[in-house]
Amino acid sequence: MNVIELKQLTKRYGRTRGIENLSFHVEEGEIFGFIGPNGAGKSTTIRTLLSLIYPTSGSATIFGKDTVKYAPEIKKEIGYLPSEVFYYDNMKVKDLLKYSARFYKKDCHRRMVALADQLNLDLDRKIDDLSFGNKKKVGIIQGLLHEPRLIILDEPTGGLDPLMQQTFFEILRLENQKGTTILFSSHILSEVQKLCDRVAIIKEGQLVKVEKISELKANSHKKVEIETSGEINERFFELSGINHVERGEHLTRFWFSGNMNTLLEQLTQLELMNLWIEEPDLEEIFMHYYEKER
Amino acid sequence: MNLYLKELKSSRKSLFFWSLGMVFMIVAGMSKYGSLATTGQSLNELMNTMPQSIQAIMGIGTLDLSTPIGYFGVVFSNLILIASIHAILMGANMIAKEETDKTAEFLLTKPLSRAQILSAKLCATVTSILLLNIITSVVSMIILSAYYSEASSLTSLMLLMTGMFFVQLIFASLGIFIATINKSVKKTSAIATAALLITYLLSIAINLSKPLENLQYLTPFKYFEAKTILVDQSLDPLFLMLTLCIVVLFTSFSYGIFKNRDLQI
Repeated sequence: MNVIELKQLTKRYGRTRGIENLSFHVEEGEIFGFIGPNGAGKSTTIRTLLSLIYPTSGSATIFGKDTVKYAPEIKKEIGYLPSEVFYYDNMKVKDLLKYSARFYKKDCHRRMVALADQLNLDLDRKIDDLSFGNKKKVGIIQGLLHEPRLIILDEPTGGLDPLMQQTFFEILRLENQKGTTILFSSHILSEVQKLCDRVAIIKEGQLVKVEKISELKANSHKKVEIETSGEINERFFELSGINHVERGEHLTRFWFSGNMNTLLEQLTQLELMNLWIEEPDLEEIFMHYYEKER
Repeated sequence: MNLYLKELKSSRKSLFFWSLGMVFMIVAGMSKYGSLATTGQSLNELMNTMPQSIQAIMGIGTLDLSTPIGYFGVVFSNLILIASIHAILMGANMIAKEETDKTAEFLLTKPLSRAQILSAKLCATVTSILLLNIITSVVSMIILSAYYSEASSLTSLMLLMTGMFFVQLIFASLGIFIATINKSVKKTSAIATAALLITYLLSIAINLSKPLENLQYLTPFKYFEAKTILVDQSLDPLFLMLTLCIVVLFTSFSYGIFKNRDLQI
C-alpha cells in the first residue's frame, strides 16, 4: 500500500515558484528521503501534504485519502516535525507535550518520559529558555508522542549535535521496525544515505528523480583531480565513465563513475605528481542530475 | 475543548489588565461625580453653558448629569471604547497570533478541521469579552449603589451593559474577519486599530454635525448610546437587527475564508 501518493501536485505562490507537477509515492513501512537544496520546494510539498497550504492543481493522498478533504482524519495518524520549531513560549515542555497529546485523545505520559530520557531533555524547563537544539528535541517528542503511522520530518537534524543525531536516528529506526512509515526531508545527502531506503530528488520545484539509495550509491560519481608533469595522452579520456573534464595546464579535473580498478590502472600510466579523489558534494550531484534531465 | 481551554488560559493575564483599566475608568469617572454631586442641579447648567461641540465630544447630549446613572452615561462612552478596543484586538490576535508566532505549524497539523479551530477560538473570544463585560457590570453596580439605591438604575445599567456587549460582539467579529481575510499577518493589528479609530471618529463627527446622521449605521458606537438607552429604557430594535446581521455576516465570511486560505508560514 502507498502511504503517500502525489499526483501532479502543483503549488504556485503568485509569481514565486512553488512546486510543479510532483508525482511520486511512499510505500508503507519505508523510510523515504526527500532531498534537494534549500528553496527547492521540500517544505512547500510537506506543507501542502498537511494542508497548511492548498494545492494549485493536482492532488495527493495519505493512507489512500485525499489530503484536503480528509485532513483532520488523516492528521490523527501523522506526526510532524517542522524545520523550524516554534511553540508557545510561556509553557513548560511538559505542559506543551501534554497539551499536544490531548488532541489525539491518548495517554502518552509514559512515552513522553521515555523519549525525553533518551533525548536527554528536561521536561520541567520553560520553552522560552530552551536552546535551538533543545527546542528541536521537544519537536521530535511532540511528533512521535502519539505513535503515528506516518512521521513527516522536515530537516530534522538541524541544531542537534552528532551524538544526539545518532540517538534520534536510532529512535527512528526503532519506530520504522514497528511499521511506521517515515518521510525524511533533508538537504544533506549523507544523513539521507544513512537512513533511507529510497529518495526523491527535487530541484527548483520539480522532481528530478526517485531512486533507491543502493542505486544512487552505485551510480555515484567520484571527483578526480590530477596533477601531471607532462601532457596527458588523449586516449586516457576515452575511458568510459569519465565526464565533466576540465583541463588546465598541469591540473586536470574530471568526474568518474564505474570500476575504480580500471581508473587506477589508467592513472598509473600517467606521470602523476598529485592525485585527489573525493565525493562530489550534494550540489554537484544535483547539477549532474539536473543536466542529465535537461 | 482542549484548544478552547488553552486559549482562555492564555488570555487570563490580558483580561486581568483590561479589567483593571475598566475598574480604574469607572472609579475615576464616578469619583468626579461624587465631588460634583453636592452642587446638584447646577451641573446640568454648567454643562449647558459649554459649546455644543464639547458636549458632543464628551458624549453628553441629553444625559441628565444630576443623577448618578446619567453621569455614569458619560463614563459609559469611555467604557464602551475600551471594551471595543479589547474586543477587536482580541478577535484579530486570536487568529493572527498562530501565524505571527509561527505556532500554526503546530496547531494546524493537529487532527482538527479549520472550522473546529475557528470555533474554539471564537468561543474563547466571546467568553473573554463576556467576562470583561460582567466584571465591568459588577464593578459599576457596586460603585453606583454607593450613590444610589434605586431599582430603576439597575435596569438602566443592565441595558447599557447589554448594549456594550453587542458592540463588543461586533468588534470581535470584525477583528476575526480582518485577521482571516488579511494576506499579511503583521499588519493585522494595525488594520484592526485603524478600523476602530475610524468608526470612533465617525461617531464623534456625527455627534458634531447633524447632516452626517445618516452615517450612524456605519459606526457601532452609535448603535447603543447611553443618551438614547437611558431615555427610551430599551435597546433600539433596528440596531439590534443590524448587530445580528453584521456579526453573522462577519463570522460566516471568516469561516468561509479561513477554511480555504493558505497559512502564512
